[in-house]
Amino acid sequence: MFNKILIANRGEIALRIIRTCMEMGIKTVAVYSTADKNALHVRFADEAVCIGPPEPEESYLNIPRIIATAEITNAEAIHPGDGYLAENAEFAEICFDSKLVFIGPDPTMIKSTENKFLFKQHIKNIGLPVIPGSEDYIKNHKDAEQIIEQFGFPVVLKSAYGREGMGISIIHRIEDLEKAMQNLREKSQKIFGNNQIYIEKFIKGARHIGIQILGDKSGNIVHLGERDCTIQRNNKKLLEECPSPFLDITLREQMGNDAIMLAKSIKYTGAGTVEFLIDPDKNFYVTEMNTRLQAEHPITEEVFHIDIVKEQIRIANGNRLLKKKTIPTGHSIECRIFAESPDKDKLPTGTITTYHPPGGNGIRIDSSCYSGFVINPLNEPLIAKIIVIAGDRESAIKRMLRSLDEFIVEGVNTNKSIFKKILTDPKFKSYNYDTEYFETQ
Amino acid sequence: MDLNYLKKLIKMLDSSNLSEIEIEEEGTKIRLSKPKQKIATQLPTQIITPYPSITNINPQPAEIKEKPEPTTSTEEFNMSKIFEVKAPMVGTFYRSPSPEAKPYVDVGSTVKEGTLLCIIEAMKLMNEIESEVGGKIVKILVENGQPVEYNQVLFYIEKP
Repeated sequence: MFNKILIANRGEIALRIIRTCMEMGIKTVAVYSTADKNALHVRFADEAVCIGPPEPEESYLNIPRIIATAEITNAEAIHPGDGYLAENAEFAEICFDSKLVFIGPDPTMIKSTENKFLFKQHIKNIGLPVIPGSEDYIKNHKDAEQIIEQFGFPVVLKSAYGREGMGISIIHRIEDLEKAMQNLREKSQKIFGNNQIYIEKFIKGARHIGIQILGDKSGNIVHLGERDCTIQRNNKKLLEECPSPFLDITLREQMGNDAIMLAKSIKYTGAGTVEFLIDPDKNFYVTEMNTRLQAEHPITEEVFHIDIVKEQIRIANGNRLLKKKTIPTGHSIECRIFAESPDKDKLPTGTITTYHPPGGNGIRIDSSCYSGFVINPLNEPLIAKIIVIAGDRESAIKRMLRSLDEFIVEGVNTNKSIFKKILTDPKFKSYNYDTEYFETQ
Repeated sequence: MDLNYLKKLIKMLDSSNLSEIEIEEEGTKIRLSKPKQKIATQLPTQIITPYPSITNINPQPAEIKEKPEPTTSTEEFNMSKIFEVKAPMVGTFYRSPSPEAKPYVDVGSTVKEGTLLCIIEAMKLMNEIESEVGGKIVKILVENGQPVEYNQVLFYIEKP
């Protein structure tokens, strides 16, 4: 097993990985920007190295600085966390060239999923269901109109390299098409360095499901059920649950087997998530594959009694997956509590003056906040992930409501109240909603 | 020179009670010694990328300043006249272009804006660090071959 792992991330996810390393007896190296001098991941790690100024490009996204830190601290492996460089094939490649183990899939696997359009063709070619849409990138208005004629409005424009809810544009009227295409191209060029876009039918009443995959280097691949990520705002996930009330055993096994088939087709290793949309008639479509640890992984851990980060490290070390499959029990929900600016157009800033997390039976808090914590507008303003586990969905909802009541954060505005609204909404309780939950309010 | 071989030697020395290992093999001589808490690696000629020593990097820059100083004798500085040269990157600090060469600067050296002060090696690249001010070097805070973090103070330059 590795002696020392560098964690190329910050915040709660860095802390979460450090905790697993501690339990495994592995030493840790934290990296931090000058703004994170007092961060908990810096204090919890065995060693910490300041790598640059607060701008992510100069610190957490700066490959040479991170590799240099691994070299001077003699770290043997790098865990990229769940954002920043986690899905950067170039970074994984440089780790390999520098004789460092990248805790994640091989660079070739990351590359094969990066271009969503090409990967969609691959999914289709191996016989899995994909959302109907253009057979090629859209070059002009006419290409788009053909698809619209075929499927009607609304349609979805997507960037070839879109990710994390970015690079998606839903078109409802023909008048908006030209401008939306132009906007998305410009935005894609700016964010992803590529302006190719494609078009798809909009799946009405869709549920968004991700299937957790683990694959070892001996070719064994298993799935760990689903996470329901249907509650989204601006294409960003807010609340996730496991299992999904929408799936029955048959559908779960069908989707799980398809996810395994897709992972096997690219000889996937490590933890990954195959994403699906399901329409109200329970037709499902494979949409993409995330080749990283996902922010909502704790709900799977709670239900499947497994430590996914530990599995990632074991797999990277060449260990095989454990033969014994755990039996999922109970129901888990995660709410992501973010700092919010009262002015919607501004990024949140400020100091958390009081921080009191909830506790008690069945509650897990993944957070790196404390009283006196300063929210830096350059980073994702996540305050905490509240994860509850209970015997069934109804109890899990009650437990989450209790947690939200107990959770005290003062000094900054949070999105806490939105979760109370969702969890007490009869539509949520009866699972009568889709990915447009907020748009139809 | 096989870096892994060297790495093994360092680990061996580190876990032993020995303070020094010397090996001669096909014209290459390696001497590893362990003064106090650190391991200095003395490498034969023309090795461009000496393997960094294993050192804990302290996250608190304030404490780094309190570490024993390698070169200076007087400790009284008029801080209003002192310019602190800080590391612009993470890497290994070298005072000279090769183990045998003379250091770029010493305590007492007069430097101009643009004078080469040291090298920081990161990812096998030698980054030359130049002075941003003119003045006199009055203190060198880091030892040759020691890893440095971003913003770590390397030199005190007394401005005229």
